[in-house]
Amino acid sequence: MAAASSSDSDACGAESNEANSKWLDAHYDPMANIHTFSACLALADLHGDGEYKLVVGDLGPGGQQPCLKVLKGPLVMNESPLPALPAAAATFLMEQHEPRTPALALASGPCVYVYKNLRPYFKFSLPQLPPNPLEQDLWNQAKEDRIDPLTLKEMLESIRETAEEPLSIQSLRFLQLELSEMEAFVNQHKSNSIKRQTVITTMTTLKKNLADEDAVSCLVLGTENKELLVLDPEAFTILAKMSLPSVPVFLEVSGQFDVEFRLAAACRNGNIYILRRDSKHPKYCIELSAQPVGLIRVHKVLVVGSTQDSLHGFTHKGKKLWTVQMPAAILTMNLLEQHSRGLQAVMAGLANGEVRIYRDKALLNVIHTPDAVTSLCFGRYGREDNTLIMTTRGGGLIIKILKRTAVFVEGGSEVGPPPAQAMKLNVPRKTRLYVDQTLREREAGTAMHRAFQTDLYLLRLRAARAYLQALESSLSPLSATAREPLKLHAVVQGLGPTFKLTLHLQNTSTTRPVLGLLVCFLYNEALYSLPRPFFKVPLLVPGLNYPLETFVESLSNKGISDIIKVLVLREGQSAPLLSAHVNMPGSEGLAAA
Amino acid sequence: MAEERVATRTQFPVSTESQKPRQKKAPEFPILEKQNWLIHLHYIRKDYEACKAVIKEQLQETQGLCEYAIYVQALIFRLEGNIQESLELFQTCAVLSPQSADNLKQVARSLFLLGKHKAAIEVYNEAAKLNQKDWEISHNLGVCYIYLKQFNKAQDQLHNALNLNRHDLTYIMLGKIHLLEGDLDKAIEVYKKAVEFSPENTELLTTLGLLYLQLGIYQKAFEHLGNALTYDPTNYKAILAAGSMMQTHGDFDVALTKYRVVACAVSENPPLWNNIGMCFFGKKKYVAAISCLKRANYLAPFDWKILYNLGLVHLTMQQYASAFHFLSAAINFQPKMGELYMLLAVALTNLEDIENAKRAYAEAVHLDKCNPLVNLNYAVLLYNQGEKKNALAQYQEMEKKVSLLKDNSSLEFDSEMVEMAQKLGAALQVGEALVWTKPVKDPKSKHQTTSTSKPASFQQPLGSNQALGQAMSSAAAYRTLPSGAGGTSQFTKPPSLPLEPEPAVESSPTETSEQIREK
Repeated sequence: MAAASSSDSDACGAESNEANSKWLDAHYDPMANIHTFSACLALADLHGDGEYKLVVGDLGPGGQQPCLKVLKGPLVMNESPLPALPAAAATFLMEQHEPRTPALALASGPCVYVYKNLRPYFKFSLPQLPPNPLEQDLWNQAKEDRIDPLTLKEMLESIRETAEEPLSIQSLRFLQLELSEMEAFVNQHKSNSIKRQTVITTMTTLKKNLADEDAVSCLVLGTENKELLVLDPEAFTILAKMSLPSVPVFLEVSGQFDVEFRLAAACRNGNIYILRRDSKHPKYCIELSAQPVGLIRVHKVLVVGSTQDSLHGFTHKGKKLWTVQMPAAILTMNLLEQHSRGLQAVMAGLANGEVRIYRDKALLNVIHTPDAVTSLCFGRYGREDNTLIMTTRGGGLIIKILKRTAVFVEGGSEVGPPPAQAMKLNVPRKTRLYVDQTLREREAGTAMHRAFQTDLYLLRLRAARAYLQALESSLSPLSATAREPLKLHAVVQGLGPTFKLTLHLQNTSTTRPVLGLLVCFLYNEALYSLPRPFFKVPLLVPGLNYPLETFVESLSNKGISDIIKVLVLREGQSAPLLSAHVNMPGSEGLAAA
Repeated sequence: MAEERVATRTQFPVSTESQKPRQKKAPEFPILEKQNWLIHLHYIRKDYEACKAVIKEQLQETQGLCEYAIYVQALIFRLEGNIQESLELFQTCAVLSPQSADNLKQVARSLFLLGKHKAAIEVYNEAAKLNQKDWEISHNLGVCYIYLKQFNKAQDQLHNALNLNRHDLTYIMLGKIHLLEGDLDKAIEVYKKAVEFSPENTELLTTLGLLYLQLGIYQKAFEHLGNALTYDPTNYKAILAAGSMMQTHGDFDVALTKYRVVACAVSENPPLWNNIGMCFFGKKKYVAAISCLKRANYLAPFDWKILYNLGLVHLTMQQYASAFHFLSAAINFQPKMGELYMLLAVALTNLEDIENAKRAYAEAVHLDKCNPLVNLNYAVLLYNQGEKKNALAQYQEMEKKVSLLKDNSSLEFDSEMVEMAQKLGAALQVGEALVWTKPVKDPKSKHQTTSTSKPASFQQPLGSNQALGQAMSSAAAYRTLPSGAGGTSQFTKPPSLPLEPEPAVESSPTETSEQIREK
């Protein structure tokens, strides 16, 4: 059982770090400067001398210097710059003749570059896509100056909105131009025939007519315009063309082209389409609810990694078999095939620096790497049959060799309850104090309860008294009477000796304005002086906030501060409606002087 | 500048002469989609920084015409939480290729995330015109309608989505509608179908198990929760629910080991600590029970169930003053539960506040409809106070409830309670034989029913502290949950009360818990 908790990975880590790890560390170079994807890695006996080399279509740091690297052992044997970023690399046998050295195909932009003996041999370019006849017609008219740029623009615009296929770049560019630039653009480009070119997004190989290990293979290309092409290995003509509902990202093929084959294509819309030999369109469709990050076929099961950090197994008819949750995001996947033991498993490089190996849903092994692995490949390298090659996010290269005695066993540490089950619960121990208090409560519970109840009643009584007093003397800044619902709020500004006292008075009733209010300040006249200790309040419109400002001069030179009481009164009544106590700050101007 | 770099890279025959305005051959344009594959690969690997760099380069090169680059940029913005910006970019995409349903879908999705459900529905409908067989559109339309509370339309759309292609998510949403409408049976139907379709989805299994638990179908509930735990032994929702069922069976040790897993995963879950506390309570480790319950109470101070349990444990510990506080707090949050008042009355009785105890009992009797224990305890108090007449009335009330319960279910009564009732019956000189128990299934808990002939020497006053305290603790083990207590909230969180009634079905608890232990 594959538990997906992160805590159990530690147990696995301990296992693989032990001396009885299944892998020998052959090589680790953190500065190898290889930045690539699993699709751009290939292992092949390029020279027919029995020494397998590693072919890397390297994107270069930041995707700036694409080049083709061929590694022999830990060293780069050959490095040649590429014209554009490589999308995929594959090795395949082109013909039956001896010596049977495989050719190397590198897909990049709209072309496939084929190398033999590491020398450029052939360049295949994708055929141009047919332009929209209407669009073609418009440009032909422009060429003969029968149409002015403005009409051209309108016509192209209408084509773009209705036509199924997109316009050529030339037209799209044109549509973006300002009026003044159009003329020049048309003159410059009108003689060009309009082109639509697509690019290769993915590539794989398919055996032509024999299932042998060293049989002639066709190249299968996935293109940006949602098509799959099968190329003839010798003549590089297009043998078959299939269309998909979306752009293919990963391909997985089984069978032989001339007999029967199945093609699974993971696409950008998150679906996987399965095609067969005689179908021009997908036969089955697997809808994932997330984007696929890898597609591997193990025997008859399609294993898909998704961006939801999980591996799914599907049959060739698209039926879901199982799901395994990963502890981190999957970065890359590839097939592990150990011929000597007839083992096929899936390797998944995770963002937390693990490489997990699964046979179906059973975890076989976990490899911990110093950096997250971004591309993986397993096979014969040099003269060693079972070699695992990994490149990391930082451009490092790790080569590990599977021990000849190593046998992958299912489960291992994964059987049994999760390790968390063995952890003790964190329950605090009973303390002396607790025991004492418990005993005391048992002995004197009734007395405690009574004392508590008495105190509670007293507290309530006091609170009620204080509240009543506040209501009676209108000490609160909120008036409780229904006729004058008022709110008062005072702010003191300044450092002294002169302060500004602002009263914010608000009429909280919904409809009725309040008239005839007075404000009165009560203060110690020895300490403060106010220009107007008593004034009338204007009419208060409901809801508005009235700031009433007044200056306060501090008279004391000893830094004494006092309370100023603010009373809001109704004309003709001696009891205040509201009152506020303003704690005046000490005068700091005095201290400075 | 960009042109030049491209030129050297793609080996197009462009020389520096191309900069001259009047010239025979115009410069070629770079292919718009040249690096779409690279953008996509970076995107699915969640390497958003690299992705943005490539997008920027490609947009510069194509002067903003590359639709896919804008599309992915918008997706990244959305993931980063800049929904408004992503919406604008998706709208740009929709302008660049007006025939694409995908762009419209994303526009709608962003609108949805911004909470503009009506606008989202409009855009989804537009998209549906372009692509009619897309489960995603139907599903999302359904979700929008849920938020607009138009459940009928939502159901139609979700069923549509299921017809096009079945997805777990659609089932979950459909189930949610039924739950929102309070239709448990239909929800169970939906989840059943969902589990059939994807039998390994632990979320579906757990939800189905919890729904069965809510309906009281314990066998099935346990089955589904067990299945969920087989696939994911760390699924804490399932563990909590299954654990509470084990507690019901008295399997406190097994439940505790299961809870350890949860305690590791979500150590601050109040129901978890509540259940652990009650496990310790069941094992008679009262101090540990109190510290766990207090932790639960600290984490969820407004949960009356935890307060109830705290009150119960403190009663057992004879800390009546503390029990009083916890119980009165619980009553403040849940004033409609008879048992709470009864416990409060017990606490008050022990605190020698008989007047208030009687009032609490009166309230308890008033609120409670089916628990004979309330009346029994009240009768004991009245008897001890010498009010034989009232005691007799309560005693008869209790008998009514007992016979009602016996007719309706195969519940077994706690032996402690039966004994107490018989003592009281004798003391009150109610002569007739009470047929307390049904034919008992479990020989272990079999007790004598022929004890109407009590020893005559039985004269000392009933209801010492101890007797009541014991009656209380067993009360908890017996108590039935009022069905409305959890309500719909019980669906989202695992039942926090560990103490469920005995399952009606004759399940053998040892076997089922064995199943779990194996995992």
